[in-house]
Amino acid sequence: MPVFETKHFGKLSYEPDSELDFPRGLPGFDDRTRFIAVHFVENDPLIYLQSLEDPALCFITMPILTVDPQYRLKVSGEDLVDLGLGSTRQPKIGDDVLCLTVLSIRETGPTANLLAPILVNLRNRKAVQAVALESDYSHQFALMPETPNEALPEAAVC
Amino acid sequence: MLMMSRREGETILIGDEIEIVIARIGRTRVKVGIRAPRETPVIAREVKLVREENLAAAAAPPAAVALSGLLARLHPAAQSARRRP
Repeated sequence: MPVFETKHFGKLSYEPDSELDFPRGLPGFDDRTRFIAVHFVENDPLIYLQSLEDPALCFITMPILTVDPQYRLKVSGEDLVDLGLGSTRQPKIGDDVLCLTVLSIRETGPTANLLAPILVNLRNRKAVQAVALESDYSHQFALMPETPNEALPEAAVC
Repeated sequence: MLMMSRREGETILIGDEIEIVIARIGRTRVKVGIRAPRETPVIAREVKLVREENLAAAAAPPAAVALSGLLARLHPAAQSARRRP
């Protein structure tokens, strides 16, 4: 089993077939194509997206449905091709793809990027960060707002 | 900001090297063709926002301490998410 020395978590061993392949990288990190998803039970529902090419590069993510149970995917034809999915229908979260939202930790509190979810094809581990060009989702959706976000159902705010 | 009205098929020139063609006008969207030198990046504004957001996200260390408040807040949501079939 391969082992990768990370900056934040020390040595991580992983199954070779759990590696995620981002053929075009992520915006801002275009040459970073290999990641693994790391989950610690005590930090549930967070999922860390750790680069296998840069020990210090790690995104904090969580399943997008945890933030917005009604989240609607709108994936472009180009992203569907990168994922190895057909373009006749939108993928289903949980059935076809894993859908994660990238978190940013700001002084004003954590935000989630709902504009560009990370999608992983559950069958082949191909992945993209799919920018939803035709959606109204925010790239800085407040997770602990002082005043509740209108779009967030009360149940998810707790 | 300069505002200009154009019909389908008409073109706007920016400098000598950038050409913007209004290819098709739909009900809610316009399709725009852009001809620009290879070294001029052409991206949708949303892609730039996502790039900046990724750079900010990657700069924050994934310390659980910084997230403990969020985790505490999320816990019931996570529970209900897991209960869904």
